[in-house]
Amino acid sequence: MGIDINIRITGGAGQGVHTVGAFISCMAVAAGYHFHSTQDYMSRIRGGRNSYSVRMMDIPVRAGRADANILLLLDPGHLSHFLPGLHPKGLALSDTPIVRQTERVTAVPLKELAASAGSPILGNMVGAGIVASALGVSPDMMDRLLALEFRGDFLEKNRKAVRLGSEWASGYLTEAFRLPPAPFRPRMILAGNEALALGAVAGGCKFATGYPMTPGSGILLGLSTDGPPLGLVFEQAEDEIAALNMAIGASYAGARSMVATSGGGFALMAEALSLAGMLETPVVIALGMRPGPATGMPTRTGQEELEFALSAGHGEFPRAVLAPGSVEEAYTLAFHAMETAEAHQVPCIILTDQYLADTSVDIDPDGLPVLPVRRRIVRGAEVPRNAEGRYFRYALTESGVSPMSVPGEPGITVVADSDEHDEDGHLTEDHGIRVRMEEKRARKEEGLAAETLPPLLAGPPDGEAVLVGFGSTKGVIAEAREILAREGIFVAAVHLRQVWPFPTGAMEGILSRYGTALTVENNRRGQLASLIRKETGRQVAGTVSRFDGQPFTPEGVANEVKERLWAERSTRR
Amino acid sequence: MGGTFDTAVESAWCPGCGNFPILTAVKKALERTGKEKHEIVLVSGIGQAAKLPHYVDVNVFNGLHGRALPAALAIKMANPSLEVVVTSGDGDIYGEGGNHFVHNIRRNPDIAVFVHDNQVYGLTKGQPSPTSDPGWTGSLQRSGVISGPFPPLAVAVALGCGFVARAMASDVDHTAELMYQAITHKGFALVDILQPCVTFNKKNTYEWYGKMAYRVPTDYHPSDRQRAFALSLEWEERIPVGILYRQERPSFEEVHPGVGDPPLHARQTPEEAIRALIQERVLTLP
Repeated sequence: MGIDINIRITGGAGQGVHTVGAFISCMAVAAGYHFHSTQDYMSRIRGGRNSYSVRMMDIPVRAGRADANILLLLDPGHLSHFLPGLHPKGLALSDTPIVRQTERVTAVPLKELAASAGSPILGNMVGAGIVASALGVSPDMMDRLLALEFRGDFLEKNRKAVRLGSEWASGYLTEAFRLPPAPFRPRMILAGNEALALGAVAGGCKFATGYPMTPGSGILLGLSTDGPPLGLVFEQAEDEIAALNMAIGASYAGARSMVATSGGGFALMAEALSLAGMLETPVVIALGMRPGPATGMPTRTGQEELEFALSAGHGEFPRAVLAPGSVEEAYTLAFHAMETAEAHQVPCIILTDQYLADTSVDIDPDGLPVLPVRRRIVRGAEVPRNAEGRYFRYALTESGVSPMSVPGEPGITVVADSDEHDEDGHLTEDHGIRVRMEEKRARKEEGLAAETLPPLLAGPPDGEAVLVGFGSTKGVIAEAREILAREGIFVAAVHLRQVWPFPTGAMEGILSRYGTALTVENNRRGQLASLIRKETGRQVAGTVSRFDGQPFTPEGVANEVKERLWAERSTRR
Repeated sequence: MGGTFDTAVESAWCPGCGNFPILTAVKKALERTGKEKHEIVLVSGIGQAAKLPHYVDVNVFNGLHGRALPAALAIKMANPSLEVVVTSGDGDIYGEGGNHFVHNIRRNPDIAVFVHDNQVYGLTKGQPSPTSDPGWTGSLQRSGVISGPFPPLAVAVALGCGFVARAMASDVDHTAELMYQAITHKGFALVDILQPCVTFNKKNTYEWYGKMAYRVPTDYHPSDRQRAFALSLEWEERIPVGILYRQERPSFEEVHPGVGDPPLHARQTPEEAIRALIQERVLTLP
């Protein structure tokens, strides 16, 4: 085994847990290592009990780990909560006063040292200095990294805090966590939400809106930051109903549009989703899932909206539902969503969740494809006109996709109506036209299905068992598979990047080659298992399920899979 | 057929409906702008009033009930050179879409909003609307409306709407004049139109409006917000018709940093710019 160090920083909101977590991630990259970071935070502005875990390895990291090797507690009151998560050979560093000093817990005067650095709020950076010292990251390197983040007087204070932390630590700490020297490689540091927004911008998104809601807000932040230099117009909506109606309005006027939200906001968008289906306006909806029902656990993770995303909106209309499994996929699938929505003139939903939203990793900048945006709007001579020179927005075609022009195009008008309409867009109550239009819209689903992204299979091509997941569980399942393989249990894993139109043929083929299929889902009911049964008619033995609001860990999945497989084996005997 | 904007679409309105003179006025006002059909977008929600765009040969966005304003705002943001006009009912704009009414007045996009205010839900067969008079009996409030009426013009003046007017549907020329003024006003312009519903509203009839309505005096200065507010609250004794409040302020499109030329559909996504965005995030040591 190579390097695998998990560092967990904990504290209340406002204590700089996020800042120091992100800083330690930079340290890993600067030292030539890879990292994967996740956040766990409470729904409040100040205080509470938050954590930021940074796992460093000498290979790209795909998942977090349950136990921490180094625990840095900015609030000593959190000790009893986080100590059970400390690795048996781990090191806990806690601010003072601590109730009971043990062999596993070292008291560090974080606030005191911070005060002598110029401000008591710099306790987090004192902690960063201690961690740097434990990892063997040089003070010079720390100075250079700080210069990337801070300026002027604040830079000096931060430098002093980090230095005081590392001086305090020198000679005090074991060398167990020292990182061997490794060559520095320029890496991009990116979180799931940032990647999704970036992918949408790369996909030509020019209009974005939404109403803030965790964990979708980070996507809005990304769109409103990266978008404007490329001509994207952002506006915060008064509510989610307005948001999706706005995005559809902009799309009618020819802009690639998107919204980002969470389950509750998506519920408010359901009617407009159906409108996009009827008007055949391309639109992308990023849906950041969190545990429900209702407000649920606002800042925690879940995958409870699969069935909702597939069925939301009244009436029958085609849609695409994508489920990125990593930060890189958040980028590539957001781009793909923009292209797909326009190519097929359908709403396209991207299912993400708090875990992926707040996951940061280092990635190879050349690993993010930059592809040409293919606009399909017809202008000028390309606009089909009938004998009277009129353009029909909903012209009946074989594929069901009609040439889409925009209002403002000289000589024509673009008519769109939420009522059933004729080819010209005007409302109709003619039953024959109704049937033809419903069939036209349905034909688009065939085109969509033909382009469904195939599921990604890893591991043995046939055998005892296959694990199936969608969305953010990809990395965790991949590592769980490796843990099992080390124990002599060889299972395959399937990651569904696109859950609708369902890749029925591909999944039937895969499932036929394994004895047992188990889904791994952050929900209680096993929504993916139900979907697979419904779409393929094949058996799914069960679901490795977690619905406490926290993400899976590779060890947790591996353990449960082991138990399930033993149970399966004993019943088969 | 004869007018520039006439269509062959069959009307779904009752004989004698107050929507007919409003349609005539809309076409007159649009003709007076000198704009061509491709430069105009009529946006509506759902209801009998919301069918109006189908009877005008321009671009049409007939969306969801209550949601005309968000769509209209976004169309204007996507392409500010389009003349965006909303025409929908009182239930649509003040009821189901009340939140969008409030917040789009705050935004002040350069759109004109014509509300066919007949104080009743016609298409769903006679329920009270947000502007129904207290005591009025509708099919779902048989003992009479208990809630106080929504005062659209007072709300608009209170929110600082730059153009607040009331028209009377039966007076086509005056309505067309107010509509033209609203369209040419820079910013959110509201024209609330007293519209008799000949089928379901037996109180607020052509005759009743004829008795109650009066034109604001020619020497009235609509720039005085306090006076405009007082006038906008008049209803019980008599009902003022005309421009109640008018004040120029910067439009949303003027102050929004991203909105403008070229329209969003014509904006490019150069691959070099995306590569630059990616490079910005690469950790390089100083």
